[in-house]
Amino acid sequence: MAWLTWRQHRAQLLGGLFLIGGLALATLLSGLPVRNAYHAQALSACLPPSARSGCDLIVRHFESEFVTRRQLSRALVVLPALLGLFVGAPLLARELEHGTHQLAWTQGLTRRRWLLSKASLLGVASLLGACALAGLAMWWRQPFDAFEGRISPRAFDIEGIVVPAYALFALAVGILAGLLLRRTVAAMTATAIVFAGVRLGIERLLRPHYLTPLRVSAEGTIPSSYPSTWVLHDRLVDASGSPITAGREDLAILHAQQARLEPHAYLSSLGWHRIVELQPGSRFWPFQGIEAGIFVALALLLLVATVWLVRRTPS
Amino acid sequence: MTPLAAESLGKRFRRGWALRDCTLELPEGAIVGLVGANGAGKSTLLGLATGLLSASEGSVEVLGRDPRRDPSVLGEIGFVPQGAPLYRSFTVADTVAFARATNAAWDADVAGAFLSRLDARTRVGALSEGERSRLALALALGKRPSLVLLDEPFARLDPLSGREFLQLLMDGVTELGATVVIASHVIADVERVCDHIVLLSEGHVRLAGNVEELLDSHRLLTGARRPLGRIRGVEEIVRERHGGRQLTLLVRTDGLLVDSSWTVDRVALEELLLAYMAPAELPTTRVAEKVPLRWHG
Repeated sequence: MAWLTWRQHRAQLLGGLFLIGGLALATLLSGLPVRNAYHAQALSACLPPSARSGCDLIVRHFESEFVTRRQLSRALVVLPALLGLFVGAPLLARELEHGTHQLAWTQGLTRRRWLLSKASLLGVASLLGACALAGLAMWWRQPFDAFEGRISPRAFDIEGIVVPAYALFALAVGILAGLLLRRTVAAMTATAIVFAGVRLGIERLLRPHYLTPLRVSAEGTIPSSYPSTWVLHDRLVDASGSPITAGREDLAILHAQQARLEPHAYLSSLGWHRIVELQPGSRFWPFQGIEAGIFVALALLLLVATVWLVRRTPS
Repeated sequence: MTPLAAESLGKRFRRGWALRDCTLELPEGAIVGLVGANGAGKSTLLGLATGLLSASEGSVEVLGRDPRRDPSVLGEIGFVPQGAPLYRSFTVADTVAFARATNAAWDADVAGAFLSRLDARTRVGALSEGERSRLALALALGKRPSLVLLDEPFARLDPLSGREFLQLLMDGVTELGATVVIASHVIADVERVCDHIVLLSEGHVRLAGNVEELLDSHRLLTGARRPLGRIRGVEEIVRERHGGRQLTLLVRTDGLLVDSSWTVDRVALEELLLAYMAPAELPTTRVAEKVPLRWHG
């Protein structure tokens, strides 16, 4: 079976290797200048940024210098989805589309074993590829992570053990979509939609609550930055703690201006302050563990459903 | 062991019944022609026998086992689906390796006999229809099957390749002693080799039996046109045809025909099968209705 899997999927495996090779090269070429700058400007001495005077400026300059690359690096989030599209979706859809399932499913090997061995071999390959990908992203982002932490989605989504978990999930979605829709293109489309929906849904709705967010009550009325954290809410509230709408804030500032008062001092004098809800950077690994666990469990669930369905599929 | 037995077997697709009330039992070692018009349920029956389809009612047993519940029986069935689907990007050698990897009882010698004229490095997509059929047959027979099921094997072959395919098939199965079922809508293809017939019409078994017995039990009666009553020795009038003042009947007999007003002739297999394949009523007497294309795997 290993031979059959290799023979049927070698183009995809080689394509994946090329992709990872190309990415490794790009990572190295774009990552080295970042590291050089990091060392040349002795940024490690600015940890935390308030350690030395002038550090704020140096760090801000460093971060803005490589802003394009950092935007580009966020594109890595789509790679696990590609696995579902190009490996998972065609796995069954192509057989059903070309009628070759009639050949594959009437041999001495049972459908269940046929599917399980293919899925597990491709799953292992996907895991390895995704781990390599996460490794590259972590190496590349290391200088930025030092200041920003990696709990916020832009780093969290492409680093650590969630990447292989996303890959497995995408693969499982693709395989099941192929079985249900029986057409490669339709299965690819469905895979993209389902994967994106579940990924974003969990990121927006579940991830902020894996552990109870910390509530920080901040003096002053201007949002301040909280390095190495993931800020979920940053709200202006009045003395009793109820949130203040933008309209009310504008009105108050207008009022202060007409009374020739410094607006922020005026708002503070009213007892207005900010309530910030955030997840601290120290929760990176627990969060990674929880999210990876969710996606691996979903992937296994889908795989079990696929195996159950494939045994009962009338062709 | 009975190679294939069905008991009130039926299969319903979304568009209606493709096969219904199918009860039959094939004798061991027979060469069975499974005939019927397109859409008569031939592919459905083979799909049920190979476990690719699940029965809507009734049961089917292949070599004494239910192919759905006990898929291990598939290793003993050589099946060539309609159109002989193979992996087009595989080479001939890859295809053989696929069969070896997925079948415990793979016999390279049996398969090799069919492949001697094929270049192992040729891609399946580049083979001619005849070569592709031969490769598919090699895959089916290389399993050393007890039952060989072929779905429309001649459909895409020219007459010469068809004859060659049939020769290869007969050589192969004689050596294996397997039971063979050849599904075809072209009677001429199967009548040369079959010793047993199963005829399907509109999802029902209309005729099943040994070829010799079928020919012995049917007669053509020719005589002057007359109102038809009961004819002694005739069990059923399968088809009646008028030509001027002459009347020709194809009948199933249940005894000796002694009525001297009829000329009694033996009937050719092709004519017999065509008579049974025709719908019970003639198409002209029926309002033409749109029958949606039925997909059957």
